[in-house]
Amino acid sequence: MLQSLIIVGIIYIAALVFFTMSARTKEKSSKGFLMAGANIGAVLGFFTFAATLFSTFTLQGMPDFFRNHGVGAWIFLAISDAVMVFGIISIGYAFRKKAAGHEYYGMAGFMSYCYKWRVAGLVTFFGAFIFLVPYVAIQIRGVAIFLSGAFPDSIPLWAGAVGMVVVMLIYSEIGGLKAIIYSDMLQGILLLAVIWIIGINCLNYFGGIGPMFEEIQQKNEALLSVPGPNGLLDFQFLFGSMIAICLLPFTQPQVSTRLIIMKDTKSLYKLAVGLGFFAILIILPTLFMGMYGAAKYPDATTAEFLNRTFLEDQAPLIAAFVMIGLIAAAISTSDSQLFALGGEIRSLLSGDDKKMLGYARMAILFFAVITLAFALMSSDELVLLTRMSFAGTALMAPMIFTGIFYDRSGFLKIVPLATLIALLILVLSLFGIVPNTLAGVRMDLILLGLLALIAIVAVGIDKNRN
Amino acid sequence: MNKETLWKLCCAAVILVAILTFTPVITPVGRYKPQLMGMPYTLWMGILQAIVLVGITYLGTLVHPGRKND
Repeated sequence: MLQSLIIVGIIYIAALVFFTMSARTKEKSSKGFLMAGANIGAVLGFFTFAATLFSTFTLQGMPDFFRNHGVGAWIFLAISDAVMVFGIISIGYAFRKKAAGHEYYGMAGFMSYCYKWRVAGLVTFFGAFIFLVPYVAIQIRGVAIFLSGAFPDSIPLWAGAVGMVVVMLIYSEIGGLKAIIYSDMLQGILLLAVIWIIGINCLNYFGGIGPMFEEIQQKNEALLSVPGPNGLLDFQFLFGSMIAICLLPFTQPQVSTRLIIMKDTKSLYKLAVGLGFFAILIILPTLFMGMYGAAKYPDATTAEFLNRTFLEDQAPLIAAFVMIGLIAAAISTSDSQLFALGGEIRSLLSGDDKKMLGYARMAILFFAVITLAFALMSSDELVLLTRMSFAGTALMAPMIFTGIFYDRSGFLKIVPLATLIALLILVLSLFGIVPNTLAGVRMDLILLGLLALIAIVAVGIDKNRN
Repeated sequence: MNKETLWKLCCAAVILVAILTFTPVITPVGRYKPQLMGMPYTLWMGILQAIVLVGITYLGTLVHPGRKND
């Protein structure tokens, strides 16, 4: 299989080089480099949004999530995504409209602009940094573990992680966001192809959807309904996940950037509808993989299950494509996230554009090193860590929405301050210093509810005052 | 019916369908029947729900107030 992997890998690298060189322009302004000229059409926009959103979390995490928690995983992701796409057209439009009056490079700078207060931008950057770095790291780690598991004598974990970070740094530093967008198109198609090939193979193992669920019914009936065998997919988990995922386009900077760079509102509409269908298309085959794992490898560890399902049970050429697909999935999301963090830094800086862009590029390098270190140390709970990232950044939503929808947000300093406190409390709860739940309710939900309440009350008081 | 009203109807429909997710209509606890083509209840209802939501999103793009203001 190593031979197949090398051949497919060379083709993939060559395609990346081609896209990077195509995207390379002499224009080195922040708008050109960080925002790809902010003139992206529906097709490119759709692919870059999809590739950024559906990451290793989908390809590796979701099959395992279906295997362990059953069909309720569909509600967890597919329904949340379907609600999210409606949010893109409704809130996305208002977001673009407000951002049109501002030179947008990142949400942090945008919040400074909305609240007319630098602290609001710093809080946004803090939230993005704290909760994005673990998300990027676990994706890199997930694929590095997979590679080292497949080739224990050739690719150690650290080498896989370093290799991926170096590849994404090279093409994003040379070609900027445009190179990332072009490569996202390649990676999105690759991800969809790979996920369906394995999904169909898994379905064929049972001989169809009916026989698949008949076998699951005999093996573990609890997988066929919520809350699943471990009781995880209860109301609070599903509700909290839906809220966090629906807020993603506005709370995770790599996604927000993709709303802003769209050419016009009609392209945004097409992106939203396309993304909804893409979500259904890409999550469905992960269900087949999960059920395959539940039937064939119910007691295997995550790494064993993925290794057997993706590699050992596939033809060598397919397995090689899977590997490259996994790498592509990890890279397409991670590069966008690191790049977005650089954009956040740029958005907080003012002064000579060339110099500020230089700082932003150095920041991307710095974030890559931190992420790499984190990737070598973090846990392997892909889906749960990703959800933590979603929930963490979701806490910024009340502040961001107040900034977008309320013109006098500059008078509401309490909102960014409360957001900062909530972010700190959530971090402390993740370390076990503060309880994870209060009266049986998850801390992330309580904090989000409180922040929403504070924002509503603050707007109400300010309206009355005027 | 004007586009503004239709847009509000789309918003209401999405909220309603999203709320249904957390009721026994979509996620009855511990129940997987009636099945459709062998699929457990929550799954086939969930797939149908996702298609409906994307359909409403498409309709929403046709009547969204931003369409005329772009």
